[in-house]
Amino acid sequence: MWVLPPPDGPAEGQTMANPFDEPSPGGFLLAGGTASDTEILEGFLCPICKSDLRTPERLTVHVEHEHSEEQDLLKSLKEIFQGILSKGKKKGPSSQQQHQQQQHQQQADSGCGESGVAVGSAGAANNPLLQSAALQPVGCDCDHFGYFKAVRNPRLERYASETNKLIIRLDKLLDGCPAEPDQKKRHEQSKVPWIDGKLVKLCPSCAKGFGITRRQHHCRVCGSVMCDGCSLYLSFDDAYRIVQPNPVSPNDAMGHPQPRQQEQPNADVEANSFRVCEHCLHLLLNRMEMQDSRRDRPPITRLYDRLRQERADIEPHIPMYQRILDSLYEGDVIFRLSDASALRERIGRSAERLDSISKAILALAFATGSREEALKKALRLACIAYIKERMLAIPPLPVEDEIKRIQQRKRQETARRLERERLLALEAYERYELNQIASGGAGAGGDPTATGSSSTSSSSTASTAEMTVATMDNWSGTQRGPSATVVTSDPLLDQINIVRGYIRQAREAHRFEEVATLERNLAELTQEFYHRQRLDGGPEAGPPLQAGP
Amino acid sequence: MNVIRAIQLYIDKMIADAGPGMKMLMMDRETISVVSMAFAQSEMLQKDVFLFERLDSARSNERLKYLKCIVFIRPTRDNVLRLQRELRSPKYGSYYIYFSNIIPRTDIKALAESDESESVQDVKEVYADYLPVNPNLFSLHIPTCLQALNWNPEALERATQGLISVLLSFKIRPAIRFRSGSTAAQTLAKKVHETINKETALFSFRPPEDGAAPPLLLILDRRDDPITPLLNQWTYQAMVHELLTISKQRVDLSGVSGVPKDLKEVVLSTEQDEFYANNLYANFGEIATTIKVLMDEFQKKAHDQRKIESIADMKNFVETYPQFRKMSGTVTKHLVLISELSVQVGRQQLFEVSELEQEIACRADHSTQLQRVKRLVSEGKLSLANALRLVLLYAMRYERHANCDTSGLLKLLQDRGGRAHIAPRMLEYISTVARQELFNTVKITDAVKLTRNLIKELKGVENVYAQHECVLKGTLEEIVKGRPLDAQYPIMGNEVPFRRPPAEVIVFIVGGATYEEALAVHRYNQEGYRIVLGGTTIHNSESFIEEVLAATAGVPFKHSRSLQQFHQAPAGTA
Repeated sequence: MWVLPPPDGPAEGQTMANPFDEPSPGGFLLAGGTASDTEILEGFLCPICKSDLRTPERLTVHVEHEHSEEQDLLKSLKEIFQGILSKGKKKGPSSQQQHQQQQHQQQADSGCGESGVAVGSAGAANNPLLQSAALQPVGCDCDHFGYFKAVRNPRLERYASETNKLIIRLDKLLDGCPAEPDQKKRHEQSKVPWIDGKLVKLCPSCAKGFGITRRQHHCRVCGSVMCDGCSLYLSFDDAYRIVQPNPVSPNDAMGHPQPRQQEQPNADVEANSFRVCEHCLHLLLNRMEMQDSRRDRPPITRLYDRLRQERADIEPHIPMYQRILDSLYEGDVIFRLSDASALRERIGRSAERLDSISKAILALAFATGSREEALKKALRLACIAYIKERMLAIPPLPVEDEIKRIQQRKRQETARRLERERLLALEAYERYELNQIASGGAGAGGDPTATGSSSTSSSSTASTAEMTVATMDNWSGTQRGPSATVVTSDPLLDQINIVRGYIRQAREAHRFEEVATLERNLAELTQEFYHRQRLDGGPEAGPPLQAGP
Repeated sequence: MNVIRAIQLYIDKMIADAGPGMKMLMMDRETISVVSMAFAQSEMLQKDVFLFERLDSARSNERLKYLKCIVFIRPTRDNVLRLQRELRSPKYGSYYIYFSNIIPRTDIKALAESDESESVQDVKEVYADYLPVNPNLFSLHIPTCLQALNWNPEALERATQGLISVLLSFKIRPAIRFRSGSTAAQTLAKKVHETINKETALFSFRPPEDGAAPPLLLILDRRDDPITPLLNQWTYQAMVHELLTISKQRVDLSGVSGVPKDLKEVVLSTEQDEFYANNLYANFGEIATTIKVLMDEFQKKAHDQRKIESIADMKNFVETYPQFRKMSGTVTKHLVLISELSVQVGRQQLFEVSELEQEIACRADHSTQLQRVKRLVSEGKLSLANALRLVLLYAMRYERHANCDTSGLLKLLQDRGGRAHIAPRMLEYISTVARQELFNTVKITDAVKLTRNLIKELKGVENVYAQHECVLKGTLEEIVKGRPLDAQYPIMGNEVPFRRPPAEVIVFIVGGATYEEALAVHRYNQEGYRIVLGGTTIHNSESFIEEVLAATAGVPFKHSRSLQQFHQAPAGTA
């Protein structure tokens, strides 16, 4: 609930900080009230027609419909309510956009006839259907992965130990395996105990009886019996790769498993491979594949990683550019036109890099009609869309003259305000002195300028603290720059010069976030300095420093 | 409560859970529609999802181990079997599995046993098991849900699952009400109620604060309002659906002459097309004006294009290029749609037809209306479909009228080759409640209704083409005003009925919703209410007639014995 104070009371934090500033036009302040009108109104009040709309949404809609000319007010309302509604909730930037979009849509749909807020009959306040919805959270889900793992992992462990056993045997088999078939067979039999063939009457996998035509064969790895038709073969190459997961031979770097030997064995296959049963081959190949896929880093993934890195690097700069432009058009002196152009150039260069990486992806050779070909095309498409919609869509640089004109106007305004401020302060001070004389002495605590200076000094300590943080950041080496040679008596002046040095370095490094922060600190410092000067040297002392170099 | 947003949030969450890296999305026949209605493919590309695949269609055997595979499928038996096969010889590096509804534990176990290479990284249920059509409208895409005026068992199962997923995606445990007298609505209400009680762990949401009424799930029956889907509508979305048919946000324009090649199929999405989102519910006339403005804007830009002289101009143009292209695409698309609509309006004499339709639906004036219908049907200028609709409306309205001449009209229709056999089927389809209440044929005893009707008549007609109000509108009025609902919409289970209006309402129409009803819901939502509408499908008159035919197949004729000569469909048609 928003409480509206009587018009002469303190209104907002902003006006507290600068008592001489004009009260801000937005918010819920009833600016039109007269001094005698001391009644306090409560609720979601429309600042223009003062009707209570009860919920933030309805107030926003009301202003949209009834006071569409007050765009500033509408904007500030939306900002405020968005802040309130999102409080305590995690909210991604996309959901915020969505919210705005919805509001926008609502606004657009309003052409359909009835004005949404006119329904506010007395009973409606109690109708929960009319109460506002918070931002939509993501729906329910139910996690089954715990159970899934509980079923899967014991099985995997069993497989793993079995596979490890097979690999140890395979290693033994490979170790000094003779090429001559009879010796090879003896070697194999000595390493792995073979099952007694007499106990097995039928082939375990095809269930056909053994006889003269269907001879018994043994799996070389586990020693079990099968018929010739059910035998599979593991080539020496594959066997070596399984035993030694980190290959040295160049053809292994291809990362593609060789085609399996499924065809009928001939003498060649017999010599270069081990006869294995289906079960063992499955386990071993499975292991090999897992090893391969872990190593498998084809060029497309490397290019994609570069793409992602490039995008992650430039991503924060795009909104920053917009902010710099906004600030320039506002007439602020925090950023310069050269900053905007540097950043713009940087975004442009990044776009070129992205473009060339994605072209490199497109140039990768894949079989036509394959999934990988579709993938590379999709990557390129995504990249083009990103460049077009995010990077090339940024507004053009403002014209220098225009910015200068805006700044000039702003400077004049500031000068006028400062002048007025000083006069007011002077008056207040004189009045206070008169009072003091009248009351005959007082404590320094009541001095309005003293409270003012204490508050600013606290802010200056805050800025010092921030600066230490900045020092710890990364460009602490040459912190003082040329100003270090100028040793001034005033520590405040020192501080100001240091901050200026920082700003220059930050600007060179394109760290515009920090430029903005430091510029604010600098402004505070200069203001503080100016205050002190005035207190020390009397009101006629002109400002010795201009904000901004 | 925004159904599109709910689905988008789920999809975003799935993609976020899979972490960074190149991803592909594996879906089935139904989930692919769900995803495509929430996001455009280009949007998915920006989320690093580059490939799309169907689990249930033939796929290549290529192994792309560097891809992360997000599996988003319905928890059907077939899907689980296919996924098991996939996991035994995995083609992708890792798998993130999301089922769009509640899945039995045995299926999870079977999958776990198939994952021999430890490639599954996540298994979850997310409840995105419905098609988001508009922010306030969802469909389950069940074209026909009844057989012999009772639930088709498969459709009932699908409808229950769909409703459960809607509830879970909004985290709602509702009070369930159904239209009394409708067995279909009651059966569905019972099934949903049972599922909620069975899945207590899922539905353990924080109950609403003291005294607040729980959200409401209201299940209605199309048979109670067969008029709305038969009327010609004049709002943009409804018109496009009636005259050109919107299927899963897509409109097929290949049959329209003079359409540019790239517009043979256009996508109408409130998320991607701002113009469409803003004019969804605008009247036909209003849109023409709006599109004119858009055209002017476009031409201004197009004019700019010609004026490019310097390099700076060119750069400026390129900088505005994305918006420019987007806009030009939008303008041409809607221009094509609007011009086709106006061609149809002229050709089908829709102004005249619509006026008469509205007259029949809203006013009792038997002899004049009969004359007009007779004239229009016999004249032969009217298309058979429109003639049929007029006859159907007449037949329903004056079923009990002493001088009812439905058979005469049907004779005329039959002579022209129209499908006269649909009329008796329609008379069997409409419910007892509709028969009694739809045209106020029985004396109104309810004082409130009586006064409302009186006021309506006093106020006069603002727009002759939009006099008719769907039954849903009156129902919603009663809900939001907090009127007692128990007599007409009894509550399921033994919950204590709340007197106060609920905070959220989900309305589901068995037998399909219409865009006109979506508009009614939209109007309430604009006033700040939170209502979502759903249906087994979204009907236009054509699909509705198909639904009626399927629902009444094999039903004995009770109400239309007098139309016996029209009972049999002519040979060759169903």
